[in-house]
Amino acid sequence: MSDEKVLLARVGKENSRAIRGYVEDGGYKALRTVLTGGWTPEKVTEEVKKAGLRGRGGAGFPTGVKWGFVPKDTKGKPVYLLCNADESEPGTFKDRLLMEEDPHLLIEGMILSAYALRCRTAYIYIRGEFYLGARVLDAALDEARQEGFLGENILGSGYSLDIWVHRGAGAYICGEETGLIESLEGKRGQPRIKPPFPAVSGVFAAPTIVNNVETLACVVPIINRGWEWFLKIGRNEKNSGPKLYCISGAVNRGGVYEAPMGLQLKDLIFGDAYARGMKGGRKVKAVIPGGASAAMLTADEIEDCPLDFDGLAAKKSMLGSAAIIVMNEDTCIVNAAQNLTKFFAHESCGQCTPCREGTPWLNRVVSRIEEGEGRMEDIDLLERISNQMANGMTICVFADAAIAPVLSSIGKFRDEFRYHVTEKRCMVGPGANRSVAGSPVRAAKALVTA
Amino acid sequence: MSAADPKSPAGGADPKPGGPVSPANPSGGAGTPPGAAPPPAKDTFTVLFDGAPIEVPKNINLIEAAKLAGIEIPHFCFHPRLTVVGQCRMCLVEVDGIPKIQAACTTPLKDGLSIQTKTEKVVQSRAANMEFLLINHPLDCPICDQAGECKLQDNSFGYGDQKSEYDEKKRQYPGFDRTLIGPHVIADMTRCIQCTRCIRFCQEIAGTGELTFLDRGGRTLVWTHDGKPLANDWSACAADVCPVGALTAREFRFRRRVWYLEKTPSVCPGCNIGCNVSIESKDSTVYRFLPRLNPEVNDYWLCDYGRFSSETLNQRDIEKAAIREKGEAAAAIVPLAIQRIAAEISTTIDGAGPKGLFFLGSANLSNEENFLLRKLADHLGCSNRDAVVDKSRVRRMKSKTEWLEGDHAAANFAGAQDMGMAPGPGGFGLEDILAGKASPEVVFVADAAFAARADDPAVVAILRRARFLAVAGTRENSLTRAADVVLPASSLAEKEGTFTNVQGRVQRFDRAFLPRPPIRAAWELILLLAEALRYGDRDWKPADLRRLIQAEVHGYDHVTESELAGGGLLKKGLFVKTGAV
Amino acid sequence: MSHRRYSVEESGSPAEFPPEARLRIDRILARYPTKQAALLPVLWVAQETWGWISKEAAEEVARILDLTPAHVDGVLTFYTMYNLHPVGKSLIQVCTSLSCHLAGAESLIEHCRKRLGVGLEETSADGKFTVVEVECIAGCDRAPSIMINDTYYEPVDEKKLDGLLDQLSK
Repeated sequence: MSDEKVLLARVGKENSRAIRGYVEDGGYKALRTVLTGGWTPEKVTEEVKKAGLRGRGGAGFPTGVKWGFVPKDTKGKPVYLLCNADESEPGTFKDRLLMEEDPHLLIEGMILSAYALRCRTAYIYIRGEFYLGARVLDAALDEARQEGFLGENILGSGYSLDIWVHRGAGAYICGEETGLIESLEGKRGQPRIKPPFPAVSGVFAAPTIVNNVETLACVVPIINRGWEWFLKIGRNEKNSGPKLYCISGAVNRGGVYEAPMGLQLKDLIFGDAYARGMKGGRKVKAVIPGGASAAMLTADEIEDCPLDFDGLAAKKSMLGSAAIIVMNEDTCIVNAAQNLTKFFAHESCGQCTPCREGTPWLNRVVSRIEEGEGRMEDIDLLERISNQMANGMTICVFADAAIAPVLSSIGKFRDEFRYHVTEKRCMVGPGANRSVAGSPVRAAKALVTA
Repeated sequence: MSAADPKSPAGGADPKPGGPVSPANPSGGAGTPPGAAPPPAKDTFTVLFDGAPIEVPKNINLIEAAKLAGIEIPHFCFHPRLTVVGQCRMCLVEVDGIPKIQAACTTPLKDGLSIQTKTEKVVQSRAANMEFLLINHPLDCPICDQAGECKLQDNSFGYGDQKSEYDEKKRQYPGFDRTLIGPHVIADMTRCIQCTRCIRFCQEIAGTGELTFLDRGGRTLVWTHDGKPLANDWSACAADVCPVGALTAREFRFRRRVWYLEKTPSVCPGCNIGCNVSIESKDSTVYRFLPRLNPEVNDYWLCDYGRFSSETLNQRDIEKAAIREKGEAAAAIVPLAIQRIAAEISTTIDGAGPKGLFFLGSANLSNEENFLLRKLADHLGCSNRDAVVDKSRVRRMKSKTEWLEGDHAAANFAGAQDMGMAPGPGGFGLEDILAGKASPEVVFVADAAFAARADDPAVVAILRRARFLAVAGTRENSLTRAADVVLPASSLAEKEGTFTNVQGRVQRFDRAFLPRPPIRAAWELILLLAEALRYGDRDWKPADLRRLIQAEVHGYDHVTESELAGGGLLKKGLFVKTGAV
Repeated sequence: MSHRRYSVEESGSPAEFPPEARLRIDRILARYPTKQAALLPVLWVAQETWGWISKEAAEEVARILDLTPAHVDGVLTFYTMYNLHPVGKSLIQVCTSLSCHLAGAESLIEHCRKRLGVGLEETSADGKFTVVEVECIAGCDRAPSIMINDTYYEPVDEKKLDGLLDQLSK
């Protein structure tokens, strides 16, 4: 395995956003290869399929296979490609970096993907907070148009495409692909019933492919270096390619790190090339390996834990958006669970009963326990509520995500919950020495979902 | 409007000796329940419910398919005419081959689909969902007017666990409770279960889109923009589709517990669309109209104008017959009043002849009533008969497939015309009288409220030029005050009959309750008069009159009792449909 | 009490987009096959024009895009970045999601409360600052992360926040 950076190669370079630098570094070469080298759209799809590229947004679905779901005959309807740049999963910040630092990599990846899909109009749905990213992308798109990489008759190939930036406005659920589609259509971002799947009927009732920023960026090196190269990087052929990992929390050097898919979690936390160990030499207590929706891992579980789709599935968690949040021994798990349940209660779209009612309920009960007003039976209650919310009870998997931190924190740190109930304070951390009740901020927190 | 010319106006034909006449029986006879007509075989799927196969139409929802199999799948947000949103998550079922529990309403029907509705997982999942629905519901059932027709109560009873461990403060919506949000609808959003039926009704059926979700998650609220009124022409339907007590109709609120109400199938008298309604009454009082499903006419809907016209059925000030002698009106028994009218008619026939008579039917009266009156005129050899109608603003109603329009202020002008209530050969009509071209000696008005003009003193003065003026009615007006004889006629709720709507659809309405004696249905009053003039049979009932109509009136020959028990039917040879709007 | 997004407030004056904004809206409309799809971008134009979105602005947007005002409200109240009330010149958005929370984000809110005398969703008396709590803004590695208007500041501690507030008070 190599330490060569592929996705982050240009990040940190001076003027990394400008098209000139991008082209000097070999940018838009893949596009030339495809558009002037007589590649068919099918060949691009085939290349991506063979590379084993799996979606980097959270679900890990094989990208080429997804593309293949677009019907051959679209009955006169256009095909849309939507770039999911709504990066909102707590702990995730890789797409922001890519877009702000190397926008042309995403744009080239999008043009290649759009070509594969015979798409003429594509949108980048970027979360509203990424104002800078949106401006950078707008400028980069203008540059690409001027240079003939975008617009009518790209590089004289006869292929035309335009890409527009579409800003969200503050809603986590728009990262769910059908929530994103609804939002792009000018509606509340309430996920849709499936079927029909977006590849058949998505935005504007036309076949639609939604891909994450990093996923689309990966298409460029796949074309440049071939699928074999991509497939060889990583732990195995089902978990292949370079991967961006976001690490934050109680580590020395949080950030976005590129590594071959399947990097060991311990290496990410302690490796010199990565987070360089725990801040203050503290011990690892718990790790969330794939964003707020992923089940927590205990310190024991981080041993031999490859950070990839199957490695984390084996630990009954998930790679998700590869957002690793590290908590040290001073972190009160109940407090962390309160914070996570607050997030999900705030972000539920509200359309399905179990999620609309369940997410605030979970938050209230966890808050009561955190604030020293819990009862022993509340712990079982939290598990019962959680188990009633997911696995088909709702239209989308938001509820499944919302219960993961509750079930995993109780499942793995039940003693801390019990301690909160009996001692009415935290077992560890700042809340251990004082009564946890009565903190105005915490009280305000509990009311957020009132 | 030109009169439909009855083909064989000759009177005297015996009623057909048809089979036993059954009362309205929605599932009886040859008629099928509306909306569930079995389609041709190639349009069906075979699906299995709990292992039992059933053939169902392809184009229906799984919840409806289950209903055909006799299986109730509980639901809140699903409505057969609204977009399927799958949000309430009550209709959970297991689908063979899919590990996760599924919402029935969003599961596409296909051949061989095998559904489990009674497994432990289904039972538990529904109970779980029920618990979520109730944790923030106020459970204020004793003071909620939805009680008795609340899906939350029903589904909780049928599918809930009757327990909850919710021990937090319930969500409230200060400022959004017990608020009149339109002319007819009161909102109490603490009871709302966010099913969006009302939102979808306003968007998809009314097309006005007044309602929306505000905010999101557990804070989601249904409301209008800036508190603007929910004031479309069908606004009370939003309360109809509300499965809980969040939206209720102002006019009915707290007037009567619904389980005490008796339901009678009827037809809205508001205009010539002839929306099917259920008269809900108790102790001879009409409490409300509810829409009665008829996919061909009003589907699940009813306009506010028609719905709230129900109150007019309770308004009455003519309780007895009256005879005016030398300017003084005095109460009289009905037979005496009838005798008096018959005597005046006979006198005229003996003198000026039948051309001195004038019979005015009404667009408010049934086919049977108009028919009988016309037959009486025929019997007397009189061609001077008529019926008129006021134009109203155009009213619109969405059937399952199209928009219907009505612009009559009464329900049955078409039927009155079909029954021959228009001037016969050589005869004259109301306009001729009002224009001074004709001056009958005896005028019989079968409905004192035949048009707005009936309360116009100038019009009444002209009619009053007749030597003798007899009027049947329920409410006093200029006409009844001028009449020589007033007969007490029943309201729509107090009689049965048929109306013919703008589509040419003949629809039956039933009697909700008996009129208080001596009040009688107009057809009974006319029959008494006919009998006094030696026509007809005192034992005739509306069904007998319908048999006569069937035998005699062009286009009505297939209007049988069993056909009427269904959703009403189009007159033969009349396939003119109103265009989609 | 929580901050529910129900009311769309009146500004008291008609909302008419200035010509440049109209031009932007026309350009936005050209990008989509439906007018409705332009709703979020056009609401952004409205917010950039007036700083918040009033009832009048919502109605004007509805008119331009052929939507019902209720639909616009539904969208407006769903997305938390649209301001339903006038906000201070500097909108301080403090992320309190997990990584920032672990890094003490709440103390920044507390600090704002002490220094500016305002609680969450409140605007300082001088109209300069509004403090709001937001969910993860993707600045986790530099927690606690905040945004002031469109700009990220990360990581921020009380001292750095003081410096920012000093600068923005001028």
